[in-house]
This record gives sequence, C-alpha cells and structure tokens, in this order.
Amino acid sequence: MLWFVLRRGGAALIVLFLASVLIFLGIRALPGDPALVMAGEDATPQAVAAIRHAYGLDKPLPTQYVDYVGQVLSGNLGRSTQDQLPVGQILVERLPVTLELSALALLVAIMIGVLSGIVAAVRRGRLADYVATGFGLIGLSVPHFWLGLLGILLFSVTLHWLPASGFIPFTQDPAGNLQRMVLPALVLGTGFAAVLMRQTRSAMLGALSADYVRTARSKGLSETKVVGAHALRNSLTTVITVLGLQLGALISGAVVVEQIFVLPGFGKLTIDAVLTRNYPVIQAVVLVTVTGYVLVNLLVDIAYALLNPRVRLSGGSRG
Amino acid sequence: MRSPLSFRRLVVALAVSPLVLTACGGGGGGSAPAPSVTGAGADDRQVKGGGTLTVALNADPDALDPSLSTTLVGREVFVNMCEKLYDIDATSALVPQLAAELPEVSEDGKTVTIKLRTGLKFNDGTTLDAAAVKKSLDRHRTWEKSSRQADLAAVEEVTVVDPETVSLALSRPFTPLTAQLADRAGMIMSPKALDSEGDNFGAGPVCVGPFKFAGRTSGSEIRLERAPDYYDAAKVKLDKLTYKIIVDPNVRAANLKSGDVQVADQLATTTVAGVQADPNLGVVSGGGLGFYGFTINVGNAKGATEKPGKVDTALAGDPRLREAFELSLDRDVINKTVYNGLYEPDCFPLPLKSPYRSPDLKCPPHDPAKAKQLVTESGVKTPIPVTLLSPNDATNQRLAQVIQQMVKDAGFAVTVQTAEFVTTLEQGREGKFDAFLNGWSGRVDPDGNVTNLITSGGTNNFGGMSDPGIDDPIKEAAATGDVNERRDLYAKAVQRAAEIRSVIYLYHNKYYLGMNKNVAGVKYYEDGLPRFTTAGLAQ
Repeated sequence: MLWFVLRRGGAALIVLFLASVLIFLGIRALPGDPALVMAGEDATPQAVAAIRHAYGLDKPLPTQYVDYVGQVLSGNLGRSTQDQLPVGQILVERLPVTLELSALALLVAIMIGVLSGIVAAVRRGRLADYVATGFGLIGLSVPHFWLGLLGILLFSVTLHWLPASGFIPFTQDPAGNLQRMVLPALVLGTGFAAVLMRQTRSAMLGALSADYVRTARSKGLSETKVVGAHALRNSLTTVITVLGLQLGALISGAVVVEQIFVLPGFGKLTIDAVLTRNYPVIQAVVLVTVTGYVLVNLLVDIAYALLNPRVRLSGGSRG
Repeated sequence: MRSPLSFRRLVVALAVSPLVLTACGGGGGGSAPAPSVTGAGADDRQVKGGGTLTVALNADPDALDPSLSTTLVGREVFVNMCEKLYDIDATSALVPQLAAELPEVSEDGKTVTIKLRTGLKFNDGTTLDAAAVKKSLDRHRTWEKSSRQADLAAVEEVTVVDPETVSLALSRPFTPLTAQLADRAGMIMSPKALDSEGDNFGAGPVCVGPFKFAGRTSGSEIRLERAPDYYDAAKVKLDKLTYKIIVDPNVRAANLKSGDVQVADQLATTTVAGVQADPNLGVVSGGGLGFYGFTINVGNAKGATEKPGKVDTALAGDPRLREAFELSLDRDVINKTVYNGLYEPDCFPLPLKSPYRSPDLKCPPHDPAKAKQLVTESGVKTPIPVTLLSPNDATNQRLAQVIQQMVKDAGFAVTVQTAEFVTTLEQGREGKFDAFLNGWSGRVDPDGNVTNLITSGGTNNFGGMSDPGIDDPIKEAAATGDVNERRDLYAKAVQRAAEIRSVIYLYHNKYYLGMNKNVAGVKYYEDGLPRFTTAGLAQ
C-alpha cells in the first residue's frame, strides 16, 4: 500500500511540475506585453524596459522560472500586478465565492433536474413529460449571460425581490449572503439541471422497462416503492457519472455568472488576470486549480486502492 | 398558496421584462437626445449628512498608487481620495488645490515655484509640507516603475525652499507642467505611508483627500470612508463611498435601475436612453477631452519611437488614397449608428471647447464622389486591400464594420482583424497594421493630446508620422504661456497632420454618468471624473 501511495504521490508531483512549466510558458507565449500594460498609454520605451527589468521580465525564461518556483516553495505567491494586493490574500478571498456558487448551483440542478427527470419518465408522453422536456430544451439553449440579465431585470429591477449584484460572506451575514447567491445559483444551475433532467429521464425510462421492475410490480409493490427503491436507485449511477462529468462545465459557467452578478469569484479573477496579463495571478490560479485536481484524483486513487485491493495490486505490478 | 394578486404581478413582470431589457439595451437604432452637460453648482440641492454611496465603475482600477496608475477608472477613485497640487474647475481652468496659488514661473520659463497651503494633513495625520511634496515628486519622476516619468520629464530637480515652498528646475520651458501637476503627477502621498509601504503603497494608499482608503476586494470593490483629517471635512457629507466594478454595460444600467448602485459611471451609449426613461434616474454628461479614430501606418516600420521607415501598403504609399478613405466616411452617420448620436463628431484631436482650439479648424465634408475620383487618379488597382486592426469588444467591432461598409464603394476592401486590447496596443506600437482603431482619454492641456501622438518618435505615434511642420509648432507651443500664440501654433500643427492623414479622427467621446435623482452635490467636469466631496442624499 505504501509503495502504491508513494508511486501515485510521485506521479502527482510530476503532473504539478509539468503543469507549472506549461502555464509558465503558455502565458508568456501570449501576445501582449505585461510591462506595456503596467507602464500605461504614454510610457516611453525606456519606462517599459525599466518596468520589465523591475519585475524580472527581462531575464531568460529558465531564470524566471527558477525564481518563480523558489518564490512559490517559500510560500510567497507574489503580488498582483493589477492592484498590488498579495496574490495569496486574493485567492483566499475569491475561492470560497466560486465554491459556494458551484455548490448552490449543484443543489439547484439536482433538485430541479433529478426530480423533473423522474416525473418526466414516470409520466412519459403526458403533459408533465412535455413540460419537463420543454424546460430541458430551454435550459440547454439559453445562454447564462442572457438568463442572468433577464433574472436581474425581473427579480431586481421590476419586482425588487433580490439584490442585482454583490457578495456578502456567509459568515458575516447568512441571510444577506443567500439573498445575493440565490439568483446566480439558479441561473448557473438551470443549464446543468436541464442536462441532469434529460439523463435522469432516459436512465429512468430504461430502468422502468427493465425486468426487475416488472417483477417488483408483479409482486404488488406500490408504485412509489417501485420508482423510488428500484428504478431510481439503479438510474442514479448514470446520473452521478454525468454529475461528475459536468462539474468542469459548472466551474466554467461560473465565470460568466460571476461577471453578470459581480461576484468576486475565481472565474472572474482568471479572466481579468488573463486580459491584463497579470502573470503572478494567472500562475497562482492555475497552480491552485491543478493542485486541487491532482489532490482530488490522488485521494480517489487511494480510496479505490483501500476499497479494492485489486487496484492496489495492479498499481504495484511492474509488468 | 400563492395569492392571485402575486401571481398576476409575476405574469405582468414576466411580460414586461423583455421590454425593460430592450430599454436597458437601448435598441441601438434610435437616436436619443443628448443629455445636457451639468457643471459644478448646477445641482445646488441641500444634502443630508451620513450614508453610503455606491458607485458602479466600468472597469477595475489598476494599482491605487499615483506613480503607477494608468487607468481612467483609477483617476476616478483618486479624485476623491488623493488631492493634487492643482485641479480643474467646471470651466476646465486650472486652479490650486494643495498649492496655495497657481505656480510662479521665472522669466526664462525654467524655474517653477510652488507655494503650498498650510495646516494640511494627510489622512494618517502626517503634516503636508514641502519635504513631503519633494518626496512624492521625486518618486513620480525617478522611480523605475513610475508611469509619471514622461509627465515630469522636463523637471530636472525639486528643491525644498522652505516648509511651504518647493522649487522645480526645468530642462526647458514647459507650460503644460501645471496641467500635469493637476493630474496624477501632482498627487502627493503621505511620506509616512511611503516609508512603511514602499513599492506596495497602492495596497494601502494615504493622501490628502475628502475620503480615505478603507479596503479593496480585488476585481470587485473599493471602499473609502470619510477622512476626519481632511481640511474641508465639514463639506463632506457621506460616511462611506463604495466603488463596485461592473464591467457589463447592461448589468451596470440594471444595477442603477434596481437601486443596488446609486451612481453608474460611463454608461454605454446604448443604455443612456433606457436610464433617462426611468423616472427615478437622471443622466449627466462630462468628458469630451479625448478622441477616437484610427491610425494609418505611414512610417512605423520598426516601432513607434524608432526612425520612420518604408511601409509597403497602398494607403501608406499614396496620400490621395488616405484622403479618399477619409472622404468616404460620414462621421455623423457613424455617430448615429454606432453611438446613438451621443458623441461629438470631429476631425481634430483638440477638444471642441478648448480655448486652444482655433475656430478656423474645419472638417472636410463627406464626399464619396471625390473619394472615387481620387482612387481612380491614384491608378491603384481596386479593390485595394486594407487590414483594419480593432480591439475585440462589441462597440469597436461595430465601428470597424461600419467603416468597412462606408469605404467599400470607393474601392477599398477592408478586412477587420480583431484582438484583445493589450495585443492591439502592442501591434500598434510595433507597426504591425495597415490601419488601427484607437483613441486617447484626453488631457486638459492640448500638449497632452498631441505631443506623444503625432510628433516624431512620440510613444503613441503608432502611424510613424514625422514632419517638421507638425513637430516644430508643437514644441514651440509647449514653451510659451501665451494662449493666443499657443492656439495658432496648435492650429498649424493639426492642420498639417490632417493633410498627411496618418490619424483620421472620428469623434470626441463624452462620458455619461447615470445617477439616482435622490443623489445631489456631485461635480462632473470635462475630465469625466465624478467628484463626491460635497455629494450626498438630497434632503
């Protein structure tokens, strides 16, 4: 087991290293000089060169990379070139916003998507099915930015039920936080709910026509029990797989939703940093994201190995 | 159970939402009446003490360090937090702010003496004196990262004469210096904060101002609060001033309508009509100092600041083609179709109301027939390919497409090439374009609208235009203080530039500030920076 963990840990470190090199080179390959952005519209070439020198951007790339890695290893992510705030502080402020938004959107998606999927399957060919399928089609087709804007106009401008923008941390004011997050979560969750609805419906239809369901019915079980305990349970595997696959899309959708609702999240930070060629922030954002991904995968691998010794053995074989 | 009333309300709301959306978006086709300019003192309603005002900005300001800042939105925050040696008033005239009076200039124009106001304190309680002024000015002009070096390039030395006086030794007479000191180059920072924060002053700026910095959430909001140490503290009514960054113009307008923000800066021209139609909101206009247009590359072969070289394009090779290109454009139609008629069409870089603008400056009329004739005379085979470089935002792309259509009949085949703003700026500087859509935010002194933009080797002379008929009068104008003389010299320079046509100016952009009608006491001048010193909720 120890050998397995060491192997996977080593592989994770290699992935992290390669990702850091890739992002380091990738952002530098983009056209657009960050020194030019910082120097301003009427800066002389000398001033631009001075800024390039001051930020070490005139050093050879390998030297810049070693400097950067040394800085990160010493726990210093640098300062944002946009506003001079420490990058670490920015990440700590931003990450919870996106995580909360994604979690709430996921909740919305599961509640709407799975429930409407079940109803659509059980009521196949009836009004409820058409309504749910229609909702699914709209949910998939409507872009987040349009839905967000419409939501603001309806709930904030016309009805004055919800604030149009902004963020208050949950720890500071739970009610205020939820008031501001409900609309973004609904907007972000809707598209995702549509995908879940379609997958749940199709998996449930398959399950409902399966032999074991027929058997359950013939044994005289109530319809609620047949649907809930038998068909749904067996359909959930598909739904959970889709859920996992769509998580990436959820995070990328958060970028747009954060922009519309002025939420200081991770996605908005990434876009802003790329547009202003804010190297320290881009590098940190990617590093944190990749580290998160690698860590989760590592934990999943270890969990698999703990639960299923065959994984451990195949992982340890040298064939 | 849902009551029939609330259900009906919901149905009505759903029904009107698309209409509100259209109103917010403005529709684009209609030409809204241009709102009238509100100057200082136009709004003399009494305001209540206390409260927080939330202002939506259209972009995230860069570092809140006067030496580093390069953005207009940054200036919008500074104007309420970091006072300058000089400022402008409602008529765009220069007035003393931290200085006691306008500067005294020696006969040879090379020594400028600045008397300071006494008893002023920074927002950390430190006293403002000549040593503090010297420290800030020296940082602006000598710090390697400073973006103010070009602004203060004429200053050779700053000397403390006495605690209330500084003297600036110049390498050459330079009249625009006072205007430079009325912008970020004239902002004075607390020496105590400079010592403690060093290069990171922008993360916790301390100046003299009606509001002091209270915090910033990167990319989201900037918080200021009333400064008890401010010399005119009694005039300041608001407790807090919060700037919220809302980039999308429709969302910015929607936030103003919903009341989440009380002031929205730089409304897009497509949203002005929608905001004006709301009975609770008003729009005031400012700005007009800057300009927008496109640059034709006539000599930028190796970089804007390098010696001009040969550019191998049809437009660069024949001035008749550049003239034909300009004559094909109808500036009024561009203003109406792209900007709902809310900007000021023009063909010169000098603001329309500037005292330095000669009334003799006239634009060539739209003349498609003559454009065709000039193309024929040039003998160049049509269609003439032209690549127009444009920033990739929706408005610029719309402008590029309108230009593309307008010049088609004359024989130009324009290909629009879009890229992010940062990339276009770099390509502009390197001369990698035939024509390039770009603009300038404008300066109070006309020198700021021409020197770096159309003189030989100017950092923003993207087209590589180089002509003594432009360079010499601009240099002379910067060395004289006589308004009439300067006006004539600038007229000579911009007329010559208009003949060469490396820059085709299209319009002066106005800024539209949307405000809730219960907000009073806001000052909004031609620099487009809303001043909230005396602002508050109307009584």
